[in-house]
Amino acid sequence: MEHAIVLKPEILGFYKNFPVTNTLLVSWIAMAVLIITSVIATRRVKMIPSLLQNFFEMIIDFGYTTVSDLAGSKKAKVFFPICMTFFLFILTANWLGLLPGFGTIKYNGAPLLRSINSDLNMTLSLALVSATLTHFFAIKYLGLAGYLKRWFSLQLFPVFLFVGFLEIISEITKVVSLSFRLFGNIFAGEVVLTTVSSIMAFVIPLPFYFLEIIVGFVQAAVFMMLTLVFMVLLSEKHGVQH
Amino acid sequence: MEVLNQFGINPILLAAQVVNFLILLWLLNKFLYKPIIRVLEERKQKVAEANKNAEEIEKKLLQITALKEEEILKAVKEGEKIIKEASDEALQIIENGRRQYEEIIKNARKDAKELLQVEKANLDREIRENLGEMIALALQKVTGKVLSKKDQQNILEKEIRNLS
Repeated sequence: MEHAIVLKPEILGFYKNFPVTNTLLVSWIAMAVLIITSVIATRRVKMIPSLLQNFFEMIIDFGYTTVSDLAGSKKAKVFFPICMTFFLFILTANWLGLLPGFGTIKYNGAPLLRSINSDLNMTLSLALVSATLTHFFAIKYLGLAGYLKRWFSLQLFPVFLFVGFLEIISEITKVVSLSFRLFGNIFAGEVVLTTVSSIMAFVIPLPFYFLEIIVGFVQAAVFMMLTLVFMVLLSEKHGVQH
Repeated sequence: MEVLNQFGINPILLAAQVVNFLILLWLLNKFLYKPIIRVLEERKQKVAEANKNAEEIEKKLLQITALKEEEILKAVKEGEKIIKEASDEALQIIENGRRQYEEIIKNARKDAKELLQVEKANLDREIRENLGEMIALALQKVTGKVLSKKDQQNILEKEIRNLS
């Protein structure tokens, strides 16, 4: 069984001019899973929670505490939904990608389902959303002048100009590192699983699947925490000027 | 941009995923975060309230316990006082009774004595009245002679004189 390692997502078909890729399809599935479970969980919110409500309460309570510890309770209300959505979406996507059927069910010669984050389109768009929101909140909390001060020093001393330039570069690097970290981890995991499965499809891949479960969780947590930290850092008043 | 092409970056797909994410953010915020956070806050408030209430209840309980003890102490004191009063009164009553009884006994004795004296006097008189007759009868038996009225009188007078 030959498995070509393809970086590009396979296009399943076109809706008018819009290409529907297998990763986009799985992305919709992941969204549907999340939305349906959350609607079921909170359909009748009770003071004494049922099983599903209890489960989500646990996760959300933990997330909210983490966000408010880092950002303070006022900003936490704004930052929390974004960070939590990153976490839940990436986690669901990563774990969905481990289910049987991914990569094996073919449609017109291409796999019908493919782990979302093994497509750079998906991770890059998440990183772009994260960066855009981060800068949006920075402007919102610091004001445009305070925001620009970070990049363009008013002192025309070459060192500060250079520091500002470095800061701009680091912002671009953030997007690149966020997207490629997630993409690299999940794509590598897919490659490992495919390779190991093609060598011996029984029992041997199990430890790797276990590893991928952990990686999927860790990557989701890392993406969430980094987004949160960037948001907190950028929306805080700059310290004493050197 | 060759690199991006190699990774299959497509602006339409990027935009689609951004839209996906924003929709997910909106829906999850509406259906998951807000209700759950609200219920968490509510529960926190309720627990805080319950704690406060419990503290208040405990405080009140302490107050009530103290009050109860005080009341009990007061009641015990009052009880002792009442018992003491009652026993004093009882003693008084007993004393009074004794006095009355003594008086009654004394009176009774006095009455009895008087009665006895009266009886004795009566008896004396009766004896004195009957004595002459008895003596006459005895003399008659001794002398064998029926004494006349006159003899009787003489003897009687003589005897009485002797007697007295």
